[in-house]
Amino acid sequence: MVVDAATDPAQAENGRLPNRVREEGFFAPVRGSLAAIIVLSVLGAASSVVPLIAIVELARELVPALSGQPIHAGRVWAIVIVAVIALFVSFGTAFGAGAVGHFADAGLQLALRRRIIRHLQRLPLGWFDQRSSGTVRKLVENDVVALHQLVAHAIQDVLTAIAVPVLSLAYLFSVQWQLAVAALVPLAITAATYPLMMRGGAEKYRQYDEATAALSGATIEFVHGIAVVKRFGQVGRSHRRYQEETRRYVGFVDRWTRDTSTAFTIIELVTSPVVVLAWLLAAGAWLVNAGAVTPIDVLPGILLGLGLTGPLMKLGSSAQFLRNATKAQQSLAEFFALPTMPQPASPRHPAGHQVALDTVSFSYDGQHRVLREIAAACAPGTLTALVGPSGSGKSTLAKLIPRFYDVETGTVTIGGTDVRSIDPAELYHAVGFVFQDVQLLRASLADNIRLARPQATDTEVETAARAAQIHDRILRLPRGYDSVVGEDANLSGGEAQRVTIARALLADAPILVLDEATAFADPDSESAIQTALSTLAADRTVLVIAHRLHTITHADQILVLADGRIAERGTHADLVTAGGLFARMWTDYQANHARSLPEGVQR
Amino acid sequence: MIRRLLHYSSVSARRLLVTELVFIVATALLQGIAFLLLVPLLRNLFRGEMGALGTWLIALAGVSIAYVVVAWFASQIGMRASTALLDSLLNRLGDRLVNLPVAWFSRDRSGLITGIATQGAMFVSTMPYAILRLILTGFITPATVLVGMYVVDWRLALAMTVMVPIMIGGYRWLRRAIGRGDAVHSVAVADASNRVVEFARAQPTLRTAGEGAVADHLVEQALQRQHRAYRGMLVTGGAGIAAFTGIVQLSITVVLVLGAFLAIGGSIDPATLIALLVLGVRFNEPIAGAGDLGGGISVARTTLDQLDELAAVTALPEPAGAGTPADWSIGFDNVTFGYGGGAVLRDLSFTAPAGQMTAIVGPSGSGKTTITKLIARFYDPESGTVSIGGVPAPQLGTSVVEAAVAPVFQDVYLFDDTILNNVWIGNSELTREQVIAAATRARVDEIADRLPNGWDTRVGEGGSNLSGGERQRVSIARALLKDAPIVLLDEATSALDIGNEIAIGDAIDAVRADRTMIVVAHRLQTIMTADQILLLDGNGGIRESGTHNQLLAADGAYARYWHERVDAAGWQLSAHN
Repeated sequence: MVVDAATDPAQAENGRLPNRVREEGFFAPVRGSLAAIIVLSVLGAASSVVPLIAIVELARELVPALSGQPIHAGRVWAIVIVAVIALFVSFGTAFGAGAVGHFADAGLQLALRRRIIRHLQRLPLGWFDQRSSGTVRKLVENDVVALHQLVAHAIQDVLTAIAVPVLSLAYLFSVQWQLAVAALVPLAITAATYPLMMRGGAEKYRQYDEATAALSGATIEFVHGIAVVKRFGQVGRSHRRYQEETRRYVGFVDRWTRDTSTAFTIIELVTSPVVVLAWLLAAGAWLVNAGAVTPIDVLPGILLGLGLTGPLMKLGSSAQFLRNATKAQQSLAEFFALPTMPQPASPRHPAGHQVALDTVSFSYDGQHRVLREIAAACAPGTLTALVGPSGSGKSTLAKLIPRFYDVETGTVTIGGTDVRSIDPAELYHAVGFVFQDVQLLRASLADNIRLARPQATDTEVETAARAAQIHDRILRLPRGYDSVVGEDANLSGGEAQRVTIARALLADAPILVLDEATAFADPDSESAIQTALSTLAADRTVLVIAHRLHTITHADQILVLADGRIAERGTHADLVTAGGLFARMWTDYQANHARSLPEGVQR
Repeated sequence: MIRRLLHYSSVSARRLLVTELVFIVATALLQGIAFLLLVPLLRNLFRGEMGALGTWLIALAGVSIAYVVVAWFASQIGMRASTALLDSLLNRLGDRLVNLPVAWFSRDRSGLITGIATQGAMFVSTMPYAILRLILTGFITPATVLVGMYVVDWRLALAMTVMVPIMIGGYRWLRRAIGRGDAVHSVAVADASNRVVEFARAQPTLRTAGEGAVADHLVEQALQRQHRAYRGMLVTGGAGIAAFTGIVQLSITVVLVLGAFLAIGGSIDPATLIALLVLGVRFNEPIAGAGDLGGGISVARTTLDQLDELAAVTALPEPAGAGTPADWSIGFDNVTFGYGGGAVLRDLSFTAPAGQMTAIVGPSGSGKTTITKLIARFYDPESGTVSIGGVPAPQLGTSVVEAAVAPVFQDVYLFDDTILNNVWIGNSELTREQVIAAATRARVDEIADRLPNGWDTRVGEGGSNLSGGERQRVSIARALLKDAPIVLLDEATSALDIGNEIAIGDAIDAVRADRTMIVVAHRLQTIMTADQILLLDGNGGIRESGTHNQLLAADGAYARYWHERVDAAGWQLSAHN
């Protein structure tokens, strides 16, 4: 029983409380509201018992009339007034607790989303890869919202579930202990049956999560692969795998349901109003018959005894949401626990724009070294090209300079200063980069270009756009520079690339890390991008990841990477003459280049 | 809601569900009767008539036993019905996915479908017992009590009856208020999370800008809008809840005051009044309980809505009998097509001769890939016809088109299986040796060689262990294996390393023999050697067409394009201007 097995209050409570203790800082923005919720909830619970007691008192006033005694109208009205006031106080406080809780939830959501933003701003840039978008979306869209149950409902539900039975029992014992004991019986049976139902619960939940993950994996593959399997007449294969996982999942749910169904149904019946009512009346009648109590004393037991289990059961019905909330809280906590980029305690300024790497080693996972003992220097105003087969570490190396990652051993310096001791703001003003994955914001083109330099004037923006060969294209858009990307500005890949080049030109960082891959996605953009890149590279310290070897024949220095080491270095001419790895790559490259530039058009 | 549940149930699940509902209604009625018995019981108790009390107690015991038995079955059948419903929901979903047109999957739908399969189906399947039962009980039990009250004291019963339409009105108003706020809020949530994701993606650039940049404002504004929308929803929803709960409280107050008034006047038996008051306070609990179930209902309802949407997706029209193409030529005749927005192709006409290679070039967004998708019949054109061997695709039928066409698109999907099995998908009839032979012609053997377990190495989820170029080689191998007469190729646009570029060139040569090929071409080599080149004009039409030599001689747009590409191919980067 999946959802229903979770419908037990104790389970929900156990899952929640330790987390709240551990994550005290989490709810700090709404601490005042939480206190208000607690006070209002307890008040609400207490005042909800009062009308019931009032009915008992009313009975004490009215029942003697059966034997002909007069009714004290004044006292009757007094009791009715107290009951009505209590009803509305109870309603008001419960509503108040709910309202405070929901507004606190709204506040907490805003605070948490802002905190996510702040944390994003401090994470090392290396964290932002393909997968990060999905993670961020889940955090802001699902996890923050899932906390709703915790703040807006759980506190009130739990307090009500505790306070109402405790207050009711206290009253019952003070009035008549035998019936109070009788009222406790259903609770006692539940307490005894409960462990039976939850036997191996943690393990079952683990298995349930596993079965869900397997089903979700099969579903994703089914959906992603459907175009492929349809084209090759292999739909049955994917469908079968999905069906198998479905069977396994349903089978597990079915077994779990059967295992717990008897205990679950027993608890449900024992706490049902009908059974409780019959039991209390029978017990009351027997006690009256035995002369142990007066008839009127049976009434409190019935009125309050019926209400003992209700709040607990209500708490149970929201347990599934609580479980989600707890999971969401964990994933948020894990995100906030991600280490931020270390900031220098006393920042130092770089002296000049010489980039140097000294015995740099790096690994992503602490085990497999991607870069080993790299030593290199890029003089100001020169172009350094990184070449090597895919997986040789050239992209990783380039990303160490703008601190996407920090080195494991060795140092990366700019102007003789370790990049880790430069104030990040200053570092990013010194190092610009243009990578293949173009990121434009859904904002105006002007804002996109001045993204890295918000104070740039319109003229400066336009100059940069001209230099990046994108000005004319922008003017053809309906609102020119005010056109919004994704709304009335739908740019091709190559055009977007030129916008990012304009952005880099405007930022005017003296050091530039470039990915040369001007993919020929956009043939009509290709030469425009090249012109833009040439303008951008001029008179800077440039480090370029080169894919097409002929583009870097004029480089001041070529670093040839293989297996994370610099295998060779030198100018193009030096390396070709040396007859090593680069010379072989060059020969291969030329052979292929000759194929793609057939005779007659060869340059 | 019940009808929708039954609609998505298998025959056995439907039988279980209906039985479950019958038992639930019976429990609710029995519960109402048990509550009503409270009146004679309390009356006799307070009057001290122990003999009559005993009789009524026996009656209550009888009703209770009946209740326990019926509720037991309701619960047991309910659990079986849940499992059966879960099973039929998941099977329905799987069957539907198989039959949906491929075009529907062009956007990534995995999040939606996985949501339905895991969380959604579970919520829907537990809904009859966990939610519907409470709603039904919340209505039937009080109604039973109300009917019984007329027998006991018609004045109090009438007072309660008057409150019923007010309560229903209040409840409706409440749901509407919540629904309205919900709609505004969910738009704001989507907007805010898009902004945050964008903010995360643009981080590398934003770091340069420092804090307080444009993006910071955009994301903060979106967050505040979302916050305002949420608070707005709380105010309208809160007002609704306050009004509804207020009405319920008011109805109890009415009974209390009226009862006290009648008792003082001596026109009601005090014992009866007390019994009715006990019922009165319990009266509102199931109703209020029904109001708290919103969360679960909305998840279940969303899932059912999504299933309805899936069911509403229409497939392309299929002929009664499959057509037979005369040959493997492809014809576009006055084809106009767009993806629901403006037309991407306008009155486009051309013929791709059988057994020859046609290269499509043109600016991005000019509809190159769209042409290949129309040939593969992901879509039908809005007007005009796409035909194979002279027969329009709707007369051929999707299955004939699917069998005739092997697509090699850019987004190659690899299964989390071995590299060999990923090629094998192309044609499961072949032996392992035949598959390896074909894969070798597409140069996939080189990839297998570098992997730890050779052909039997798993490629990871979505083929994450292979580069883009390597994935395209696997895709070409599949097409070779399928041995379809028409091959559609969307050449990789991302920069490939030299090894891959050579290998793909060879693989294309291997595919090319005797097949009709349509290539969205980027490599100069491919373009130049095509039997026919179509240069698209960027406005949905063809600007020039012919062979490479003819077009160069014409010295028009294609010649300019070609020279520019050749110039670009010789570009060199330098830090010194």
